[in-house]
Amino acid sequence: MAQPVVSVKNVTKTYGKNNEKQTQALRGVTFDVTPGEFVEIMGASGSGKTTLLNILSTLDQATTGDVHINGEDVTGLKGDALADFRAKQVGFIFQDFNLLENLTARENIALPLALQNAPHKKQQQAVDAIAQTLGIAAVLDHYPTELSGGQKQRVAAARALVQQPAILFGDEPTGALDSQSARELLDTMADLNRDQHVSILLVTHDAFSASYAKRILFIKDGQIGQELVRGEESQEDFYHRILTTVGTFQQ
Amino acid sequence: MLRKLALGGIRSRLRDYTVLFSGLVIASAVFYMFLALATNKTFLTSNSPLSMTTFIFMFGEVLLAIITLVYIVYANSFLMSMRQRDYAMFMMLGAKSSKIAQLIFVETVTVGVLATAVGTLLGIGLTTAAGHVLLGMLHSSAPGFSPLWWPAVLWTFVFFVVLFILAALFNARSLIKTKILTLLHAAQTPNRLRTKPVLLLIQALLGIGLLAIGYWAMAAVNKLGLSGIGLALVTIVLGSYFMFNATLVFLVGLLKKNKRFASRQLHTFTLSQLSFRIRDYTKILAVVSILFALALGAITVGLGFQRAIPQIAKAQDAYDLVQVAPTAKEKADANKLSGLKAKVVYTQKADGTNIYFKASELNAHPLEFPVFRSLGQSSIEKVTATNFKTKVAENSSNMTEFMRPVDSGKSFTVVSDARFAALAGQPYQVITYQVADFSANYDRIEALVKTQDKRLGFKPDSMTNGQKFGTYALITSMYGGLAFMGFFLGIAFLAMLASTLMFKILSGANYDKQRYLMLQKIGVRPALLRKSIAEEIGALFLFPGLLGVIHVLFGLQLFKALLADPYDGLWLPFTIFLVLYGLYYALTTWLYQSIVITKDLGGRR
Repeated sequence: MAQPVVSVKNVTKTYGKNNEKQTQALRGVTFDVTPGEFVEIMGASGSGKTTLLNILSTLDQATTGDVHINGEDVTGLKGDALADFRAKQVGFIFQDFNLLENLTARENIALPLALQNAPHKKQQQAVDAIAQTLGIAAVLDHYPTELSGGQKQRVAAARALVQQPAILFGDEPTGALDSQSARELLDTMADLNRDQHVSILLVTHDAFSASYAKRILFIKDGQIGQELVRGEESQEDFYHRILTTVGTFQQ
Repeated sequence: MLRKLALGGIRSRLRDYTVLFSGLVIASAVFYMFLALATNKTFLTSNSPLSMTTFIFMFGEVLLAIITLVYIVYANSFLMSMRQRDYAMFMMLGAKSSKIAQLIFVETVTVGVLATAVGTLLGIGLTTAAGHVLLGMLHSSAPGFSPLWWPAVLWTFVFFVVLFILAALFNARSLIKTKILTLLHAAQTPNRLRTKPVLLLIQALLGIGLLAIGYWAMAAVNKLGLSGIGLALVTIVLGSYFMFNATLVFLVGLLKKNKRFASRQLHTFTLSQLSFRIRDYTKILAVVSILFALALGAITVGLGFQRAIPQIAKAQDAYDLVQVAPTAKEKADANKLSGLKAKVVYTQKADGTNIYFKASELNAHPLEFPVFRSLGQSSIEKVTATNFKTKVAENSSNMTEFMRPVDSGKSFTVVSDARFAALAGQPYQVITYQVADFSANYDRIEALVKTQDKRLGFKPDSMTNGQKFGTYALITSMYGGLAFMGFFLGIAFLAMLASTLMFKILSGANYDKQRYLMLQKIGVRPALLRKSIAEEIGALFLFPGLLGVIHVLFGLQLFKALLADPYDGLWLPFTIFLVLYGLYYALTTWLYQSIVITKDLGGRR
């Protein structure tokens, strides 16, 4: 079996200092993501899923436990090394897009390449290619405020993918989108996963969004409680199975 | 309940309020400092040989009022940007709009009046301190100067309170007229730039044209008189504004078009930040360039007047101190003078009609007589045994300090050493001293002159002793007041400049925080972010600074009539000022970086 792109072992996260009131957001989480997988982590608000994602994407540090991304131990990274790791290995899309509203879509997408001092021509080629894939070639010279929510999230996805990261993380990427745009974005993600073998890990509390994944991890009170694998099932059947599981899992 | 909510809002944004409040405090303090001089007619008329001074200060008042107005408009919009979300929230909770209007009015006026009160107190304190320090430095008294000047207190209050009431009315009106939803999302405004190149070109030409007229008016102030100053004031203010509007937008656009440059690192981001900034900031940058010019100009002119004092004194008298028949203690004290450049000992004898010099001593060390060339400029004439008679006859006042009161009426004669030895009477020493810096030795020379005057029998505090000290004090009383005004206003404008730019930059920090967090999340090294911030703020400091320096270089033309060479020794005030400006840039950048760059990327508090 190939080396996992994400490997999480016994990760815990405790907020609050020793002398304060402590809350344990994660209580020993362990799982792997293999290259080319599409995994979703499902859980209710406060289940610890965003904390987990922040730790995976190196925005936050685990209290104890190991996190390996693409074979590299990220728990020990600091400063510039950490920033560079995030720039090169990790793509991230956020619920609220996190686009820079003073840059055009093109400039937003090119930013990670500019940071690596890639030649201007190469930057533009890469931007055009990824924009083509994500269907935003026509709006590249618009500012984020001139785009729809779906377009904004595609621009954000393009920015996350332009560097060809080891994995794409998403924190409820469809959370701020209407159902049509959400469906289109998820279709695109599934395509990317299938055709270009992009590894994807999303967190969500929405069963429909989760039904796009190949595997679903359910998180509750900071622990992984259950796992669903889609296999050869149709998306609709899988969706119903997720709904049933959510119903029982939450009780 | 609403009151409690309003107070809670203030507490949660304490830092923003601190920035706002301290900015307003400085503005009113500086306003007071300026008025403390400007409204004090006794001070102005007794400290300036120019009848125009009162009018110049009136123009200054107008200028400062405009600057303060711009400042308060910005401060007010900052206050509103902090509060409108809260107010919209109150309205959503069901607060009546009349109640909200009342709340806004009370809040704006309270902040304003409090800031004015604190600012006036600070202004009085600063005026006292600056007055004390500067007058000590200049060895001068400024007659009529009073740190606590009631008309200034009154006018500062009237001006600020009226402005704040107007601002409060405006705030209340605009908040009630805007939809709640717009208020809630006020921060997310679209901002695409649409600039027509033709319009930019017209603005640039207009800016250059206006500045040229202003600079010409300052150079031709002798011909134009007061109207020249008024003309310069209007054209330079408007010219600076247009210059910033056009040139900088154009320049940033040009850099952005240069793909090789723009597509590296964070350059695109920095340039975009700047181009949005500069449009938003044009008024402030124009104001800053004017304040920069006023502060630097005032300090330069102040220093110019201060430098003129020893120059003019030197043109009257080549010797800083002349001791006649000194006692051993006086000689010992005089040897303690610092920076002694030359010391010559002559031997004199006096009889019933004459005072005698030795020819050999004069030939070895000729006397030095200053020859007046023009204001503050002089050359030195050497007086030896050969030309002694004619030179002393031409300019006998140069010899006054070599004569004791008991010898008055006698004439100076040069004799050979043999003849000198044969003369009756006790020989005594006359010692001349020249030091590098008269001002540094001021107190010691004063003491020595007083002791000598007493011993020789001069009337106290008269100028009959012919010493340089008396001349120096006289010139100080004429020029010291002007130098004082220069330094005092320089400090005041510098404080205002610092507060204006820092206020504007820091008040924008909250909007930027989000952007820098995003950049960090996508993996921009913190060091690169710091660099980008330093470059961005650097540009905001650099451009008004450059324009300010140009303003000063032309503005010094105004002082041609008063100073021998207003451009002489420019490096000193420029260096002092640029060091201060640089320090202040470093402080702003550091503060800004510490606000927008966070270690905590996860977003939990």
